[in-house]
Amino acid sequence: MPKSLLIISRQAPWSGPNAREALDIVLAGGAFDLPIGLLFLDDGVFQLTAKQDAKALQQKDLSANLQALPMFGVEDLFVCGDSAAERGLETTGLALEDVQVLSAHDITALIDRYDQVITL
Amino acid sequence: MSTLHVLSHSPFGDDRLTSCLRVIGADDALLLTGDAVYALQPGTVPCTALNARHPTLFVLAEDARARALEIPDTAKAIDYAAFVELSIHYDKVNSWL
Amino acid sequence: MKFAIALFSAAHAPSSRRALLFAQAALAGGHEIVRLFFYQDGVYNASAAVVTPQDEQDLPKQWRAFVTEHQLDGVVCIAAALRRGVLNAEEAQRYQREAVAVGAPWELSGLGQLHDAVQEADRLICFGGA
Repeated sequence: MPKSLLIISRQAPWSGPNAREALDIVLAGGAFDLPIGLLFLDDGVFQLTAKQDAKALQQKDLSANLQALPMFGVEDLFVCGDSAAERGLETTGLALEDVQVLSAHDITALIDRYDQVITL
Repeated sequence: MSTLHVLSHSPFGDDRLTSCLRVIGADDALLLTGDAVYALQPGTVPCTALNARHPTLFVLAEDARARALEIPDTAKAIDYAAFVELSIHYDKVNSWL
Repeated sequence: MKFAIALFSAAHAPSSRRALLFAQAALAGGHEIVRLFFYQDGVYNASAAVVTPQDEQDLPKQWRAFVTEHQLDGVVCIAAALRRGVLNAEEAQRYQREAVAVGAPWELSGLGQLHDAVQEADRLICFGGA
């Protein structure tokens, strides 16, 4: 049975390559049919804000990659409810559908469930 | 399952310590390395938060020594050999990059 | 125990030195390193173009010596490397760039190698950030 890997993405979308390079790890894992989970935590929740305009910064649109996740077999998508609330983000109408909102306690259990974790 | 959480950023002006302390589990441990050892600075908000949560705490000795920080009785100073052993003792390592 | 070690920060970052010391301690403790994977700014550790002042630690040189001595699998993420101008001869030719910054013992490859290492190893340790 393959080992499961949780990626915890903590960086805002336009703070450098972090958000995109975290997503690349997830997509690569999905492409290899591996059990991958993705949690948006801290500023990472800003990646899920709807109607962002990457072109305003001459950047690539991240939301296209995010929406591709289920096509790559990555359906275990999570967002930290506390991080979202602290940042004034509603957890409805996010750029990604089917993201589970987790409490801190849920996140403790989530990290426990995965075999390995990368937090970036 | 237990996790060894590893921090390396200063807790001042950074939210990794706060976030880590929120999700750290009862069976987990925290290893302070690099500038994260500044969380040991007595009488500070990070130090108070660390003490309030009181996780099983390890400190990379070289980083505390370099910064002239005292390691309290509530923490265990370790070297790299012990770091390797810890990474085996706990089921996985979560470095907050 | 089998370790996969991933490094995300550049050679001048303290975490790069910590990663090397951890890797050395792992081997000294009788453990195995299935792969070293350099991602994000970690790719700079494989650069032969880094010039370190003489009175400072030369991490790229130390990493190279470590990987060579122990015949380890040292992989540099190709996408991260290209973006940061850390090219081997093949990629330099492909993209018509003059600077060749990476050679043996480093191999440029994809993120699949990271996943492969995670699957094979008992433990994944990541170093990076500060």
